[in-house]
Amino acid sequence: MNRDFRTEIEGYREIEKELSVLQKYAIQNIRPQELVTRITDRFHPKRIKMRVSEIREETPDARTLRFVPAEGYLPPFHAGQYINVYITAKGIRTARPYSISSSPFQTAYYEITIKRVTGGFVSSYLLDTVNPGDDLETSGPEGHFYYNPLFHGNDLVFIAGGSGITPFMSMIREVTDRGHDRTIHLIYGNRSPDNIIFDAELKERAQRHTNLTVANIISEPPKGYDGYCGLITSELIQKIAGDISGKMFYLCGSEEMNRFCREEFAKLNIQAKHIRSDSFGLPGDITLEPDWPASVRKNESFIVMLNGGVSLTAFAGEPLINALERAGITVPNSCRTGECSLCRIRLVSGEVFQPAGVKVRKSDRRFGYIHACASYPLTDLKIMI
Amino acid sequence: MPDYDAIVIGAGNGGLSAAAGLARRGIRTLLCERHNVPGGCATSFIRGRFEFEVALHQLSGLGTPDKPGPLRGLLQQIGVIDQIDFVEEDTLYRTGIPGVFDVTLKADRSEIVHALKEKFPSEKKAIENFIGLVWEFCHQLISIYYFRDQHASKDRYPLYFKYALKTGGQVLDEFFEDPCLKMAIASYWGYVGLPPSRISFSDLAMLLWAYTEFKPYHMKGGSQALSNAIVDSFLKAGGNVRFNCGVKKIIVSGGKAVGVITEYGDEIRARSVISNASTISTYTDLIDPETVSPAMLKKLASRTLGPSAVSVYCGLDCEPGDLGIEVSTRFISLNTDMDRQFALCRTFDSPEMCGLTCYDVADPEFSPAGACQVVLISLQYADHWYQIPPMQYADTKYRFAKGLLDIAELVHPGFKDSIEEVEVSTPLTHLRYLGHPGGSFYGFDQYAKDSNLFVSPLSPVQGLYSAGAWVGMGGFQPALESGAAAAKAVCRYLEE
Ligand SMILES: Cc1cc2nc3c(=O)[nH]c(=O)nc-3n(C[C@H](O)[C@H](O)[C@H](O)COP(=O)(O)OP(=O)(O)OC[C@H]3O[C@@H](n4cnc5c(N)ncnc54)[C@H](O)[C@@H]3O)c2cc1C
Ligand code: FES
Repeated sequence: MNRDFRTEIEGYREIEKELSVLQKYAIQNIRPQELVTRITDRFHPKRIKMRVSEIREETPDARTLRFVPAEGYLPPFHAGQYINVYITAKGIRTARPYSISSSPFQTAYYEITIKRVTGGFVSSYLLDTVNPGDDLETSGPEGHFYYNPLFHGNDLVFIAGGSGITPFMSMIREVTDRGHDRTIHLIYGNRSPDNIIFDAELKERAQRHTNLTVANIISEPPKGYDGYCGLITSELIQKIAGDISGKMFYLCGSEEMNRFCREEFAKLNIQAKHIRSDSFGLPGDITLEPDWPASVRKNESFIVMLNGGVSLTAFAGEPLINALERAGITVPNSCRTGECSLCRIRLVSGEVFQPAGVKVRKSDRRFGYIHACASYPLTDLKIMI
Repeated sequence: MPDYDAIVIGAGNGGLSAAAGLARRGIRTLLCERHNVPGGCATSFIRGRFEFEVALHQLSGLGTPDKPGPLRGLLQQIGVIDQIDFVEEDTLYRTGIPGVFDVTLKADRSEIVHALKEKFPSEKKAIENFIGLVWEFCHQLISIYYFRDQHASKDRYPLYFKYALKTGGQVLDEFFEDPCLKMAIASYWGYVGLPPSRISFSDLAMLLWAYTEFKPYHMKGGSQALSNAIVDSFLKAGGNVRFNCGVKKIIVSGGKAVGVITEYGDEIRARSVISNASTISTYTDLIDPETVSPAMLKKLASRTLGPSAVSVYCGLDCEPGDLGIEVSTRFISLNTDMDRQFALCRTFDSPEMCGLTCYDVADPEFSPAGACQVVLISLQYADHWYQIPPMQYADTKYRFAKGLLDIAELVHPGFKDSIEEVEVSTPLTHLRYLGHPGGSFYGFDQYAKDSNLFVSPLSPVQGLYSAGAWVGMGGFQPALESGAAAAKAVCRYLEE
């Protein structure tokens, strides 16, 4: 094709002239790539180097750790978001997500509040070995459990269990400190009155702010306890929250508690669009799940072969990512509850158990991708990372 | 001996089609993607019970099996055509101004003419003439460029030579009086990112013609299904892929690209490199700018970044029909001033034009039973987003999104009450996930001066090729095509 024919197109010469002028006087319209990194880091730094500035005891089994940045600054976050805390304990590099409990009103520090979990690998490490002055790495703020002004309305009911109070604490601090026009009913379940985290502060805030009510529900009350007792049932929810129409229900507790409450919500005909829930971890014992195959025992071990090379041992009862980390293989991760897809890997052969509700994309399921944090081996596996 | 014959940086549409094209020709290829999933724009994310389509509103260029478009052959060649369930849409779009006019254009030439004549009877003749011009113009353009007529000349192709470099607006003005009619015809302008007064007539005409002739499509499982299928084909052909693996540098030695350094500091050697990163990133960051000739940098500096967008991804707890949503794609404007709508892309003022896409109209299985997914979109440049203090970002984002929801509510009352999930993306979101300056997903702005009549893809160093929206035009089809072209070019280079 002769290239010159183009010059005969009407208007060609004018544009050519325009171009030569543009190139002659080209001011740098194009800002350097560095700007992209700078702006991304302003909101979503990959890692933050933190220093523990203070540790407070909240209850006999829960402590608050305050993190200040060891360098740089802390990005803003939505009350309800979490950070993933990276640690190396007993030679194993791993991480766990913790909701930020401090107010998003300021970002001089983030606080997380940790409750002891029996046998908890990371929580024990953070509670027993970390001291003020120590440095740790965390992710930036992540997660989608937060107030969305586009459709959540102004009438909120928070239902928390145990350490599930932490995202709500941040939200309550924000709403009360900023004087937002939102009403909050907090329904907070604990085993005993001694376990109530933030008890004094919550009561004090409820006293000062008419738009906040706090109801503690104790499942194993001591003799003579005169508050609400038992479980968070539909009757109780209705009694405390009153008319439920137009209210948004937020739920944050153990997976077991969340399940129980969802059934109670159903009794009250609360629609899906009026429920927000944050799972605080996967089921404690995965083998008790209804679809778990009876033939596979919890402590059964399987061989996992990686990229056709290394092999390692994994147990049926624990998420695959734990086995990988024990073998020194780090997979990027953040939520560790199957939601964020950061730990996505390819299952080449074998079978895994994935609890209901794990957020794997349709086409990922079809092409054999799984989330390592929410997959439990049921056979020997071949995977690709 | 280098580790690979070729390394592809980035698994967007361009990178994916390049990688699959190479591996299927037996070339040892490594694909490196920063993110944990493939696709770039062509991806999805999950909130609640919805899997949201990020980018694809209407796939162009596929064509039907008996009247295939260019994309069908391409997808065949990279081995994925049978791996995807395509969903054909019979309508281009519904467009209008609430209370002023409302017209639906089917993906059929005579139906377009019919619908427009019915709405705008006083300009019947002009409508026929204009649509006739668009079709004849596009046939001429195809003969020249796709069938490479060796004897292309002004005499053979008078319409092309007369109209190609005019703006869409100039031609619309030549034919029509009614501003509503002009808007009805030019509603696709957002797909290129420039209003009629600035888009070239070539681009505007091709949009209308190609979407009509080859039909708009969508895919089951969304565009992530395409991205996953291409990776699968690539792996089956022996390719290697690394996710969570950003490339920090392209190694240049003796004026040739000979490998990459990853964000972890690993050095991987190869005989050639294809970059699906933005041209800006490739030329000013991945290779040392000193390697690039001053003339080339000047050329780069004369171009401008294309738009990004704010998208409001809505999961609704009702069927599309319950809200009166009857077409997949709808453009809603508040006035006929498209220049003003475009100017608003640089401000936080409430948008006056909104695209509304509902995937469940053509594919009722797209969302869970009894639910549907709607994406509202408005083009936005990024600069003003750079200026907001981080603490005010969320408020700004939600205020803007509310403007779009208000428009949706205006034409589909009850919309807001049906919301079960909402996520909002902004230019900063696209910037973060794609790594592109300005969060631009169309690459550079597409004025006539930016078309391939004036810009030829040059490479600053031997063995380095580019693929994706930044090479030519934005969009799925152009990005996939540029990847296929890059793969061919690399093959020739490696043979030499
Ligand atoms: C909201 C929205 C709506 C759209 N609607 C449509 C539509 O309806 N129809 C249509 O045809 N098109 C549409 N598009 C445009 C289309 O999606 C894009 O133009 C096209 O997909 C761009 O492809 P690309 O090859 O340029 O790659 P991109 O999608 O831009 O991806 C580039 C990839 O490279 C990776 N990368 C970048 N730098 C590096 C590095 N240094 N190392 C490793 N990896 C790197 C990125 O992570 C990314 O995955 C839309 C886009 C968006 C965002
Ligand atoms: S870490 Fe989020 S899905 Fe596994």
